[in-house]
Amino acid sequence: MVQILSGIQSTTAALDAERTRLDVVSENIANAHTTRGPDGKPYQRQVVVFESALQQAIGGGAQSQTPTLKVARIDKDSRPPIMIYEPGHPDADANGMVAMPDINLHEEMADLITASRAFEANLAVVKNSRSMALQTLAIGRH
Amino acid sequence: MVEALFNEPNYLAAKKTLDAVALRQEAIASNIANLETPGYKRLDLTPSFQSELDRACASRDQRQIVSLQPSLAPDPDAAPTGRDGNTVSLEKEMAQLNQNSLAHNLETQLVTNMLLRLRMAITSKSS
Repeated sequence: MVQILSGIQSTTAALDAERTRLDVVSENIANAHTTRGPDGKPYQRQVVVFESALQQAIGGGAQSQTPTLKVARIDKDSRPPIMIYEPGHPDADANGMVAMPDINLHEEMADLITASRAFEANLAVVKNSRSMALQTLAIGRH
Repeated sequence: MVEALFNEPNYLAAKKTLDAVALRQEAIASNIANLETPGYKRLDLTPSFQSELDRACASRDQRQIVSLQPSLAPDPDAAPTGRDGNTVSLEKEMAQLNQNSLAHNLETQLVTNMLLRLRMAITSKSS
């Protein structure tokens, strides 16, 4: 397949993966105080696991040389919920302790910023590739 | 005879470099895409390409220039930036990206100018 924008496959895959990461971060922040999920347990923090895969060319099935980024899986963080004393809470146990998800807002914000910076970097690559493609199309014109 | 017009070593070298620049753009795109993939090694053009191209240009042998093929390889000099073994540094990649885009600009203008000169010779008009 003719690629006018060189490297666009890696870049779009990365944009996609980073967006998934942003989604997961926002889900974590949104559920920072969810004490009862669908399974009746407190919300477990989720983590995106990235991996790179060699991209399969659309033609003859030959592998291209550049690896693309993809989301391998979205895992549950293994840290246990933190116990907070809040006797009035409907989900409190006999001792008045409530199991809250162990979500550190600072950690999530840092992750959010990293993901959005990576997103921006990839957008810069798209812009750059685009201007290069326009130059290529203008070869021979004056 | 027309063949000869397009077989000037300089023209062929400019075209080859343009190929290399496009391939390099792919490598940089992949590096930036894998900014945070654990264990990813940054890609770049094989270092021998530039010296081979220089040698081929010095020999003025068209076939030698045409037969050159740029290829990508993991950069052996890149040091890991963190503990996960990833060797991509965003700042370096952005600098490389801009450098690459300037190189592309230069090469496209070179090729365009050569073609325009050819047109001028054929039509005897300057524009």
